[in-house]
Amino acid sequence: MSESNPSIQKEAPPSSGSSEASDILDLKDDEGWEDAEPDEEETQFISLLDDEVFTDIMSMLNHCKDKHNFDFLQVRQRLGLDFYGNIKLVNYIRTQVHNGHKVTEDVSKEAFEDEKFLKPLLEDDALLFSLDELPDVEQNFSASQDNGKGAERDSGELVSRVSELEEELRMMQTQFDNYRATVKETLDERWNNQDTTEQSSNAKKEETRDDDSHYFSSYSYNDIHETMLKDAIRTDAYRDFIYNNKSLFAGKVVLDVGCGTGILSMFCAKAGASRVIAVDNSAIIDKARENVFANGFSDTITCLRGKIEEVNLPVDKVDIIVSEWMGYCLLYEAMLDSVIWARDRYLRPDGLMVPSHMNMWVAPIADPDYVSDHIAFWRDVYGFDMKAMQAGIHDDAQVLHMPASTVCAEPFPFLQLSLHSTTVKDLVFKRKWVGKLKQDIDALDGFIIWFDSFFMPSREDIVPQDAKAEEWAKTGKRGNAFTTGPNGTATHWKQGVMLIENTKTKPESRKEGEQLSGELEYSVPEDNSRALTVGMTWKFDSEEKENSQKWNMK
Amino acid sequence: MADETMKGMDHSEVHYFNSKKGIHEEMLKDEVRTRSYMNAIVQNKHLFKDKVVLDVGCGTAILSMFAVKAGAKHVIGVDMSTIIEKAKEIVEVNGMSDKITLLQGKMEEVELPFPKVDIIISEWMGYFLLYESMLDTVLYARDKYLAPNGLIFPDKATIFMAGIEDGEYKDEKIGFWDNVYGFDYSPLKHTALTEPLVDTVEIKAVVTDPTAVLTLDLYTCTTADLAFSSPFVLDCRRSDFVHALIAWFDIDFTACHKPIRFSTGPHTKYTHWKQTVFYLREVLTVEQGEQIRGVLENKPNEKNKRDLDVKISYQLQTDDPTRQAQGSCEYKMC
Repeated sequence: MSESNPSIQKEAPPSSGSSEASDILDLKDDEGWEDAEPDEEETQFISLLDDEVFTDIMSMLNHCKDKHNFDFLQVRQRLGLDFYGNIKLVNYIRTQVHNGHKVTEDVSKEAFEDEKFLKPLLEDDALLFSLDELPDVEQNFSASQDNGKGAERDSGELVSRVSELEEELRMMQTQFDNYRATVKETLDERWNNQDTTEQSSNAKKEETRDDDSHYFSSYSYNDIHETMLKDAIRTDAYRDFIYNNKSLFAGKVVLDVGCGTGILSMFCAKAGASRVIAVDNSAIIDKARENVFANGFSDTITCLRGKIEEVNLPVDKVDIIVSEWMGYCLLYEAMLDSVIWARDRYLRPDGLMVPSHMNMWVAPIADPDYVSDHIAFWRDVYGFDMKAMQAGIHDDAQVLHMPASTVCAEPFPFLQLSLHSTTVKDLVFKRKWVGKLKQDIDALDGFIIWFDSFFMPSREDIVPQDAKAEEWAKTGKRGNAFTTGPNGTATHWKQGVMLIENTKTKPESRKEGEQLSGELEYSVPEDNSRALTVGMTWKFDSEEKENSQKWNMK
Repeated sequence: MADETMKGMDHSEVHYFNSKKGIHEEMLKDEVRTRSYMNAIVQNKHLFKDKVVLDVGCGTAILSMFAVKAGAKHVIGVDMSTIIEKAKEIVEVNGMSDKITLLQGKMEEVELPFPKVDIIISEWMGYFLLYESMLDTVLYARDKYLAPNGLIFPDKATIFMAGIEDGEYKDEKIGFWDNVYGFDYSPLKHTALTEPLVDTVEIKAVVTDPTAVLTLDLYTCTTADLAFSSPFVLDCRRSDFVHALIAWFDIDFTACHKPIRFSTGPHTKYTHWKQTVFYLREVLTVEQGEQIRGVLENKPNEKNKRDLDVKISYQLQTDDPTRQAQGSCEYKMC
C-alpha cells in the first residue's frame, strides 16, 4: 500500500554506548545531586535469608542451601513457578526475612499469590535481574492437565505443547525485558521524587480543565509513530542536520522535548552528545526506553515521563534543544508553548534550537474536483437529498495534501517564527496577506496553509521570511530545510485546508491577474487550549465586499 | 470509531473520518454496501409493503428511506449518535417525516411507538465482522421487538479465512521496526505483531482456498455466539510462502425474492471493511495440496468489551520434516 522507504539507511548497530558516555548516575555537571547513590560497578547478590553478599547468583543460592537448608531451585521446581512466580517468590522471601519471619522449604504457592510481591523489596535486586540465568524449570505436565481432557495425549499434542511452551518462553523474555526497563524507570523516577511537595501543590492547581489527556494518549499507539517515522521528509531532515553537524553535538547536553520513540535522541547520541534527556508525557516513553536500551544508549539517554513543565531534569541547563513539535497548520496541538517554556527554563544563553526557524505560507485554491466529491456529493445520494450533511463541512479545517495545480495565486509568506526568540504571545496573531490570481478560476474554493522548517547551525544565522525550503538546499545555503507545501513531497502534515462556504450563493468566476488581499488570524478557542481557530478575511480589489470566515481545528 | 481502529489509514484520513461526517461519507460512498442494502430493500416491495420497520443504528437514515420507498407503513430509526439530528433534516427535506420516526438513544433505553415490528434492518458490521459491531444491539432489538415470523435484513453473516503470501508488506510493516534509521526498534515490533491490520489484500496474494469459519444466523444466534472457537482447514492451491492469515465476511439477505449477498473478500470489489490481516510470527513454506489446520478463537476483551481478543493456532500438515511448522498467535483488536 504505502511505498517502501528508500531513505532508511542500513547502519551497523552501535557496539556499545559512546566512549565518553557518562554513567546514568554520574551527574557531574550539576549541583543538588550529591545524595544520589554511588556507582555500583560490581553486581552484588544479597542473600535471600541473611545479610551476606555474593558476587554471583549460584554462590548465593548455595549459601542459602548449605547454611539455611533452603534450596531455592528445588522450591521453584516443586511449585512449577513461571517467570512472575519466581519474582514473587523472591520478593516474598525477602519480605518475610525483612520482617523477621522464617521461610522454610515447604512454602506454598498461596503464600505469595498476592500481586504485591511483584514489587521488588530491594532496590536493584540483582537476583531479579539474573533469574534468567538459572536452569529452566521443567514443566510439570500433570499440573497443566487440569482441564480434564484425559490422560491420553498423542505425540501431536505433545508437540503442540512444546511449541506453546516455546511461545511462552518468548513472551517471558519480552516480559523480562519490559521488567528490566521498568526497574530502570524506577531509577529515573527517583530523580523526580525530590520535591513531591511542590508537585502536589501543582496538582491542585490543575484540577480545572483537562485538554491534555486525550492529546497525550493519542500518542501512545504504534500507528502514529510509524506514520511519523516513515515520513522521510521529516525524519531525514532531522537526521541529516544532526549527522552533518556532529561538531555541534559532540560532548553537548541535549534536551529532546516530546521524544516519542526516541529517534531524535538516538540521532543526537550517535552524533556524539554526551548526554541526552528525552521527555514525553505519553506511554510511548516506555517503548522509547526499551529502544534506547536495545541500541546500547542507556548510559547516554535518560528517558523521563511527564510534562516538560513538571518533570525534574537531572541537569540545570542544556546546550541544545531538539524537538519535533510541529502540528497541522504548524500550531495545532500547541506543543510549541512547551518547547518555548523549555527553552526559557533550560537552554543556555548561547544554546541552539533544532529546528531554528519556521516560515508560514498561505495560498488561495480552486479545486472543483474536491468540491464535487465531498460537497456536491450530498445533493443526490442514491436519489435522496442529503444536503443537511454539508452543514459544518466549512466550519472545520481539513488536513489534505492538495495538488500544486489547485494553488491559484503565488503563495504568501505571512509569518516567520524564529525559535530562539519567539514567545508564546507571538503564537496568536493577525497578519495581512496579498495575492494575484495566476489562472482563470470558476470559483475561489478556499485557502491552504503550510510551513517550511529550517535547521540552522548557529543562533546568528538569518533566514529570510520569504525563503522557500524547497529552494534552500539547491542554492547551497547553510543548514537544512524541508517544506510541507504543495510543491514538495507530501508529509504527514499535508496542508491545512479551509474551504469557503460557497453553497448558499453561486460563487463568481475570476480572471487571471485579479488581485485580492486579506487578513489571517490564529487564535486559541477558550474551551480547548490544544485546538486552533483560523480566521480569514478576503476581498478582491475590484469589489467593495469583504468576506470573512472562521475554521476550527480540533 | 476511535483513531486506533483505523489501521491502514494515514493520519489525516483518521482525522478526517473522526469528524463524524467523514464516517458517514465513507459508508455511503461504499457502493457495494449501500447498493446491496438498496437492492435488498427496494427490490422486495412485496415484503415491505405496509410493514413496520426498525432501523437499528440508522446513521443518516438512508436505509430507513429505502424502506419507505419500498412501501413500509412506518419506519423507526434509532441511533445513539448526534447524527440523528442530521438524519431528521434529511428525512424532512425528502418529504418522509410522517413515515419515519427517528429516536436518539440506546436501543435498550428508547421507547418505540410500536410494541412490535415486522422487519429489522441494520448495517451493524464492523471490521472483522465483529469489531465494534452493533450485533448485540440488533439481537436485543430482535428479542424485544421482532414479531413472530418477522424478517431481518440481512439475516446471515459468514466469516472466511485464507492464507496469503505477503512478504514485501510484512517486511514493511513488521520488519520496519528491526531497523529504523539504523536503530533497533524491536520493542515496537512485538506490539505491531499483535495488532491485526485492516487493509486491502490483492487476490493474487491468496495462496489457499478460502474456508468459512463461522456462520451467524441472525434469527437464532445469541450474544454468547460472539465468543467462539472454530477449527479451520486451509487447502494450499499453490506452492508458496504464507506470511499471514486473513479474514473477511459475506453478508446475506436470504429473505429476498432473489437472494442478495455481498462479500468483503479480496476476490471482489472494494468495501470500506477491507480485509483483516493477522501476521504470523514465522513464515510457512507450503506445497500445493498441503493443508494448514488450525483454530480461530475470538472473544470480547474482559476489561473492555468493545475490544476483541483473537487467537489463531495453526499447524502446517506436511510430510517434509524441514518445513513442519506450528504455533499460535494472540492478537488484540482495540
